[in-house]
Amino acid sequence: MKLLKWVVAIVVCAWLGQYALALALPSLVMETLYALGTKQQGYNQLAISELPDEEFRTIVRPSPDLLYASCFYNLENGPVVIEAHIPSRYWSMQFYQMNTDNYAGITNQRDERYRTGSTVNVTLIGSDESPNDFAGEVIQSPTQRGIMLLRASAIGDRDEQQAALLASRCEPATR
Amino acid sequence: MFKLAMKLLAAAVATVLLSAIFLARNINRGLDDMSVHNSDWTTSVATGSEGAGLMLKAAVALGGLLASTQENSMYYRLSSVAGEPLRLNCRYRIEGDDYDADWWSITAYGWDNYLIPNPQKRYSFNDENLVRNADGSWVITVAAAEQAGNWLPVGPSGAPQWRKAVDYDFDLLLRLYTPGEAYLKFPESAALPTVTLEGCQ
Repeated sequence: MKLLKWVVAIVVCAWLGQYALALALPSLVMETLYALGTKQQGYNQLAISELPDEEFRTIVRPSPDLLYASCFYNLENGPVVIEAHIPSRYWSMQFYQMNTDNYAGITNQRDERYRTGSTVNVTLIGSDESPNDFAGEVIQSPTQRGIMLLRASAIGDRDEQQAALLASRCEPATR
Repeated sequence: MFKLAMKLLAAAVATVLLSAIFLARNINRGLDDMSVHNSDWTTSVATGSEGAGLMLKAAVALGGLLASTQENSMYYRLSSVAGEPLRLNCRYRIEGDDYDADWWSITAYGWDNYLIPNPQKRYSFNDENLVRNADGSWVITVAAAEQAGNWLPVGPSGAPQWRKAVDYDFDLLLRLYTPGEAYLKFPESAALPTVTLEGCQ
């Protein structure tokens, strides 16, 4: 009878515990990725990855048809500025908060096709800042830390796409 | 006192392990519930979004971290054909045409969610590098052994066999970049490539 009570208690706690685990898992995985990423490339700076192959581990399920550049940002000391040159083929800039949510993005596709050939300047601010205090394109991160990912088509001649990523930057804003 | 502490420790360990087992089962079940099926392909319209459920977020964290929302790209995954998991000793035929998206690609992944090692360094086909028929349609053959035409090589995953936790040997991912309305509104019936089993050794 005593053993049965223990078993029932363990099963009930485990059943409830799975939801706690599910809730914690995205943040745990992002924290791990963030820790590994900042160890390799630091934070608030852009790093361009090689074209993905079987050795590529920066992103789960990487696309071999895309070039990637990433910036692990930290807004504790103020906003970060991201400047990117937008090439003619597919390009996107996506922002992820620390629970994996893709909370904002810019692209050169469909109704944003007008961006092609231009340079985008984004001021990335923390949740404690007001967008009204900044000029130009402002994106507010729900968390102080997160990841910005640039994707650019690697199909065909990659020179223009590669050059656009090489000319892009991610760095602390000067006020 | 020591005996009670040991009992509590054992119970805590058992609880955590059992929680992980429940979670793994629920992720699969939850994914299935939240997935949209279109023939053998499945997609989740909430991937990457703030509206994704608890289990989908957990699944994305494990198998699709940094995925985009569907307005940017839609992901259709296929890990079985007519209920049979994809196998390395079998040959599959993918037939298709063009799709309402800015561009698209089909990529093969090992069961560890990474690109499959192969001497040809070919991991995918996209709408530009396929050899097409005169009418614009195309066929891709997915197999471990070399094939004529558009051959997508597959092979053992890059991770050791003992870490394999799924019933398939590899899976296919169709990416549709900036998909059209048909995919955003009717993901269960929009046009997709057809995948058939040609034979097994």
